Amino acid sequence: MTPAIAVHCAHADVAAAVRAWLAQGRLEPSSPLTLAIEVGDPALVGLDGRAAFRQPGVVLRAGPPQGGVRIEWEAAPAVADLPPGATTARVVLSTAAAARLDECLRTFLLTVLVLLLRRTGWHHIHAAVALDPRERGWLIAGNAEAGKSTTAALLASCGWGVGTDDVSFLAGRGGAVSAIAYRTPIALRPGGRRLIRHVAAAGGVLLPERRKVGYWPEELGGRWVSRVEPEVILFTSVGTGDGVTQAEPLGQREALIELIRWSAWVILEPELAEEHLALLTALAQQAQSYRVTLGRDLFARPARLAELVA
Amino acid sequence: MTTRYRRHPELRLTALEGEGVVLHLGTRHYFSVSETGLALLEALQTAQTADDLARALAARYTVTLEHAAASVRTFLERCRTLDVLLVEREP
Repeated sequence: MTPAIAVHCAHADVAAAVRAWLAQGRLEPSSPLTLAIEVGDPALVGLDGRAAFRQPGVVLRAGPPQGGVRIEWEAAPAVADLPPGATTARVVLSTAAAARLDECLRTFLLTVLVLLLRRTGWHHIHAAVALDPRERGWLIAGNAEAGKSTTAALLASCGWGVGTDDVSFLAGRGGAVSAIAYRTPIALRPGGRRLIRHVAAAGGVLLPERRKVGYWPEELGGRWVSRVEPEVILFTSVGTGDGVTQAEPLGQREALIELIRWSAWVILEPELAEEHLALLTALAQQAQSYRVTLGRDLFARPARLAELVA
Repeated sequence: MTTRYRRHPELRLTALEGEGVVLHLGTRHYFSVSETGLALLEALQTAQTADDLARALAARYTVTLEHAAASVRTFLERCRTLDVLLVEREP
């Protein structure tokens, strides 16, 4: 079967690593996309004088006159161009970038992929995806310190389905909004690892550059889910001290503001921004949203999360 | 001199629960607006004077023209600080 995301690259090692990375992510967009990668001199792609929009590790340039998006990696010279409407991203990696391929995949090429997938109607959101025992879809949104991974691992340890702890895509399907998971190990810091049962026995994969250990949901007692229709959205933060977990319901307008916050690419490319905003709006209407402060009590009583939103 | 206002072409509006959320693709800011603010921004898809807006507001919400005019002034001032309006001046 032809993969939905093709890789064209003459550099055999880079091509193999990118294909393996895509295979692990298990993303199957409905229309074909291509990453056309060369290892060479990114400076030859030419300068782009448009205003910079910075996100962690990457710089983006979008808008007139040429439209589309230029993505630059900050850690080493690497550039990608996505012309307007194109389903192929032209990527040029320097030899320095190719030498740091794991990091390059996780930051730069993931950003390229996120923006390429927008062209198939999949719109990124920084959120974990889960499916509870009642088959309700959950989205857990927030920044890197918001407890998404620890919560995802905790839910997996209770037998829930978990799709991702961090990267997901929203897409319309049959009149509803789905959240599609990009499969990566749930990445836990030492604190989270100590507190979750099953973790000690699970083993995990060392993620040294992130100072974390990664676990598949199956290793923690859960299962992997590729897609859910969110009925519950949590915007989480981690409480201080020994406070208990608390949830405050949000109205649709507040929920939409939060969803925009965790879906930063919505502001790029006006023709795609409208579709992206419409999905976020539909999602705010489809699901009940809560602002949740996570407490340590959850480790002893994980069921409290579902009780709070019952 | 007549001053007309028009909403910035890079604004995207969405209505939820009678209120609104505004996304400015140019400045990359987003914010929520009241029902009245959303109505005014919808009206500003075409060029409007402050008086046009006040009359529309007074008719829609059955408030006095003076009250509507004061609301419009406050709204326009806030919009200017957020760079969400284009201003056209005609002699």
